[in-house]
Amino acid sequence: MAARNHKQWNATPSLTTEEWVDSRIYSDQKIFDEELEKIFKKTWVPVCHESELPEAYDFRTTSIAKEPIIVARGPDNVVRAFLNVCPHRGNLLERRPAGSFLEGQPSGNPKRITCLFHAWQFDMKGNCVYISREKEGYQDRLCKEDTGLRRLRCEVKFGGFVWVNLDDNPIPLEDWAGPAFECIRETLDAEPLEVFHYHKSIINTNYKLWHDTNSEFYHDFMHYHNRVTGFNDAYFARKNEAFEHGHVNVGSFEVNYENYEGFDSRAELSFPHLPPNQWYMIDLFPGMNINLRGSALRTDVVTPLAPNKVMIEFRGLGLKSDTPEERLTRIKHHNSIWGPFGRNLHEDFLGVEGQSTAMQPGSEPRRILHGRQENQTIHDENGMRHYYEEWGRWMDRSPVDPDQPYTPRATAAAE
Amino acid sequence: MNTQTKTAPTQDNAQLAQGREIENRIRDTIYQATLFLDQEKWNDWLALCDEDFIYQIKAFSPEINYDSIYMHESRDELIKLMDMLPKHNTDESPLSRFTNVYTVDVAADGATATATSAFVVYRHIFDSAVDSHIEAGSTELYLVGKYHDEFRITNGQPRFIARTTRLETRRMDRGSHWPI
Repeated sequence: MAARNHKQWNATPSLTTEEWVDSRIYSDQKIFDEELEKIFKKTWVPVCHESELPEAYDFRTTSIAKEPIIVARGPDNVVRAFLNVCPHRGNLLERRPAGSFLEGQPSGNPKRITCLFHAWQFDMKGNCVYISREKEGYQDRLCKEDTGLRRLRCEVKFGGFVWVNLDDNPIPLEDWAGPAFECIRETLDAEPLEVFHYHKSIINTNYKLWHDTNSEFYHDFMHYHNRVTGFNDAYFARKNEAFEHGHVNVGSFEVNYENYEGFDSRAELSFPHLPPNQWYMIDLFPGMNINLRGSALRTDVVTPLAPNKVMIEFRGLGLKSDTPEERLTRIKHHNSIWGPFGRNLHEDFLGVEGQSTAMQPGSEPRRILHGRQENQTIHDENGMRHYYEEWGRWMDRSPVDPDQPYTPRATAAAE
Repeated sequence: MNTQTKTAPTQDNAQLAQGREIENRIRDTIYQATLFLDQEKWNDWLALCDEDFIYQIKAFSPEINYDSIYMHESRDELIKLMDMLPKHNTDESPLSRFTNVYTVDVAADGATATATSAFVVYRHIFDSAVDSHIEAGSTELYLVGKYHDEFRITNGQPRFIARTTRLETRRMDRGSHWPI
C-alpha cells in the first residue's frame, strides 16, 4: 500500500481490537499516576537479593511507587522491610543505598535505625526503642510503643530475591508468581546465588514499553547477536506461555554462542539442573524480568518515574560457590550481552527510547500493534496481549481506548 | 681533589633526564590513546598496546558491596569486538574524552611503569533515540573516572599492557558499545 493520508493513517486496523493498544497508555500523566496507586502499590516487587545484605544489621534502601523503603536483616537472620520514614516528622530515616547498622551514626547508637533529625531510634524489627527527651515532651500522651515503623509485607523467595508489597493484604506471593517460576525453580533453589553485577539506568521511555521488549522476541531482528546465535528451527519453536496475573514465560532452546565471532559455548557453567546453553525468560506483571542464559542470571526491576521515564535496576547473579575463575567467566558471559557496554542492552535502549520519543505527550494517539499470531511461538505477540488484558483489569481501563472501562476480551482466556 | 663531587651530579642529572624522557613518552602515549579513542581509530589505539594487553572497565558498587567488572577483554578479544560492532545497532553520537595524567611511576629497572589519569567523557548527541531534530548537537556529561595504566618499556618506548578504566559514574543510562 502506498503511504497513507491522515484519514487512512487513523483508520481502524484490519485486526481485532485485542491486537492493538492506544499509545496514550504509554504517555498520559493521569494514567501513569493511576498505575502507581492501582498496580505498583498492590503488587510484589523483587527489590533486591538476599546476598546484598548477607550479615545481620545489613540494609538496603529502595522505593516502590514513590514510597521510600528500607530492607534490613535482623540479628535473628530475618529480612524485614519498613517504610523508610520516621513516624515523628516524616523524615527519611536512612539516606545511603546500602550499609550496616552495626556502627552507630552521629545521631544514634549501634544496631539501631536512627533518624538523624531528632535522634529517634528503631530496632531491626521496627520497634521504636528511643525517643529523645520522651517524658519531657510527651508526658504520658505518646510513647515508644505507639511509634513503631510501618512494616511491609516481605518474603525471601524464588532463588533468594527479597520481595516487598506495600499492600497489607496482597495476593500471597506463592500464588502470585509460583507457577511462572516453576520452569526454573529447581535451578534457582538448588544452591545459594550471589549478585555480582548491579547497575541502573534511567531511560526516557514508559516502563511498559521496556516490559514489552522483554516479553516479545520479534525484536531479535534488532540484535545481530541473537540472530546468529538463535535463528533456527528450535528457536522458532519456543513457546510463549501465559500465566495467571499477567505473567509470561518464554520456553527455552539451546543457544549456539559459538556462531558469534569471539564467543564460546557456555555449557561448562550451566546453572544446576539445566541442559547446556539454555535460555529461559520469565516476565512478571507489571514490569519485572528474570532472564537465565544458562551460565548467568539477569533480573530487571523497573521503578516508573514518569509516563516517559523509568529507572531500571539490572542485576547479574552467579552461584555463591563460584571459584574466582568461574565468577570472572560468568561476569564476561553476562556483561558481553547485558552489561552497560554489552551488545544487546544498548540496542534495547535505542528501541524503547525511540518508541517513547515518537509517542511523547501531545503527539497524536497511535495504535500500537500487538497482533502477530504464530501459534503462541516465539514471535507471536500473545505475551503482550496477555499482559494488557491484566493491565486493563487492574486499571479498569480499556487498553484499546483508555477512556473506556475495562471489558474482558473474548479470546484472552484461550491465550 | 674530590672528583666524586664533580661527576656524581652529572650522572644523576643524566639519569634524571632519561627518567623524565620516559615519563614524558608515557604521558604522550596516554594522550595519544585519548585522541585515537575519540577518533574511533581502534587499530591505532591497539597499536599502542602490547600483545598481552588487558582492558577492563570496573566500578565499585556500594549497593551490592562488590567491585563490578563491566568489561574485561584481551587485545585479541578487543580486535574481534571492533570487527563485530559494525554489525550492531549503536548510538553513533561521538564521545570526547578529557584526560589529565596525574602520576607516572617508572620502575627502578626502567622496564615497566604505571600511571594514573583522571578522565571526563562527554557525549555529543547525534542519534541517541531522542528527537534529533531538537537534541542533535547538544552535549551531555557521560562518564567520570580514572585510568589506571600499566606499561612495558622496550628500547625506551612504552606500550600499554593493561588499562583499568575505573568509573565513578554508576548510573549508566543508555551506556555504549565502545571502550572508554
